[in-house]
Amino acid sequence: MKEVTLEMAEKMLDAAERWATLCGFPSSIAVVDNAGAVIAVHRMDGAGPMTTDISINKAFSAVYSTAPTLMLARMIDPRMAGPTPGSGGLGLLTQAKLRIMFIPGGNPIRDEEMQVIGGIGCSGVPDGVGEISDTTVVQAGYAAIYEEYD
Amino acid sequence: MVMNIELAKKMIRAAIQQAREMDRLCSVAVVDDRGFLVALHRMDSAPIPTIDIARDKAWTASTFRMPSADIGQFGDPSTPGYGFNTQNWNDRLTTIPGGLPVTADDRVIGAIGVSGGTPEEDVSICRAALTTAFA
Repeated sequence: MKEVTLEMAEKMLDAAERWATLCGFPSSIAVVDNAGAVIAVHRMDGAGPMTTDISINKAFSAVYSTAPTLMLARMIDPRMAGPTPGSGGLGLLTQAKLRIMFIPGGNPIRDEEMQVIGGIGCSGVPDGVGEISDTTVVQAGYAAIYEEYD
Repeated sequence: MVMNIELAKKMIRAAIQQAREMDRLCSVAVVDDRGFLVALHRMDSAPIPTIDIARDKAWTASTFRMPSADIGQFGDPSTPGYGFNTQNWNDRLTTIPGGLPVTADDRVIGAIGVSGGTPEEDVSICRAALTTAFA
């Protein structure tokens, strides 16, 4: 598993969509490659138009930062700000043509050697963390590419 | 009938099948009748810019309710619409062939955009997808 293929992306989207349906929230889910470029995006029936771009940007952000977007969200939390305004993550706000998302729901996809080979993002569930959240939708998708979880 | 994810997936699968037969690496985008993206797939190792080009073609075909290739006619200074290209609402506007509206019951319900081959190939991939989806 060296790169994310369209076949893998579709498998992940199917699993993630199943979980989003179980949660009861139609969402958009995006899978990107190690360049942050889209491989596949689906907007489920009933999900809002803005969710597609948000899910793409969450997946991009996860690749770009090699970390879940939950960590980016923590970085710009004012309570985490250091002694000077710039010592937190505020400077990230304007990077990458404003494409970095600071909302949980984007995770990097890693291979067996823990190299980032892509990202997956979800938008549409009205919560970022918790049992029913964008994060668990992307985790459901991520698990699908490992056969032992099938 | 309105655009939905199942129809979008069906069209994209047909388009990618056709692109494989023609030995081309493509991105295929499907948008709804407002121009909002419903689904987009990029074939393995298709060039990255094809993502946005396919999406732009679909946006153009959907919002203008005509094939993206027909938009070029507005560039003629003798037509009433001349100058529309200098407005700033059209970030996604393109005149490249390869975006076709999807019609059901005489209404445009969305559009499909393909990028990756020559303009003629893109259009024939679009047509194959529409034919398969509404067979």
